[in-house]
Amino acid sequence: MPVQKFRSIEEMNRARPLKSEEANFERFLRHCAQWWAIAPKHYPRGVFKFRTIEEAQKAREKHTS
Amino acid sequence: MDRDEIMRVLRAFAAAELEYVLIGATAMGFHGLVRATEDVDLFIRASAENVERLRTALRAVYAGDEHINEISSADLLGDYPAVRYYPPTGDLYFDVLTRLGEIADFDNVEAEVKEVDGTQVRVATPAALYRLKKSTVRLQDRADAAALRERFQLEDEE
Repeated sequence: MPVQKFRSIEEMNRARPLKSEEANFERFLRHCAQWWAIAPKHYPRGVFKFRTIEEAQKAREKHTS
Repeated sequence: MDRDEIMRVLRAFAAAELEYVLIGATAMGFHGLVRATEDVDLFIRASAENVERLRTALRAVYAGDEHINEISSADLLGDYPAVRYYPPTGDLYFDVLTRLGEIADFDNVEAEVKEVDGTQVRVATPAALYRLKKSTVRLQDRADAAALRERFQLEDEE
């Protein structure tokens, strides 16, 4: 595993992780799976339609609260 | 979000030749900004043919789900540019957009092609994601915009 060194926390936060694009996506999927395991959700089934993104976001908050 | 399920969806999008671009947290994940999400957000080209491709792709993954028939071009090309589909598997959902107010649609969201397991995936660029997220009122979007701006050294165009 390569080592990255930084002179400050700001420099560290700006640095890109040494990962390939595919590794990024795999990391994302693992993270979502862990989150789901900790906090499973119960969604309705089917199709819902919205006139605006704001409407969609309000519905999302309702379903996930 | 189950890996096998999302890969089946992405392969089905490719097989159906769906014209789409991933936005939202899934797209951010491709760029190395990882946060949990429960939805897959995508713009699709606003045409009746493309909406049919979307239905074809979803039917390939979620065979037998009659709800897919409720995704209509009349809605997506008309008064309802945002459609949310909850598949029967129950651990993710899709937010399908044909336009976002007056600011964005499939044609003006800059995208790049990524590859996962041999499947090509169209993903909004960091700059495009930043533009989509920076002006919204949702706190999570603002946080995403800040993360994108810092990671990719993005500047406001105005």
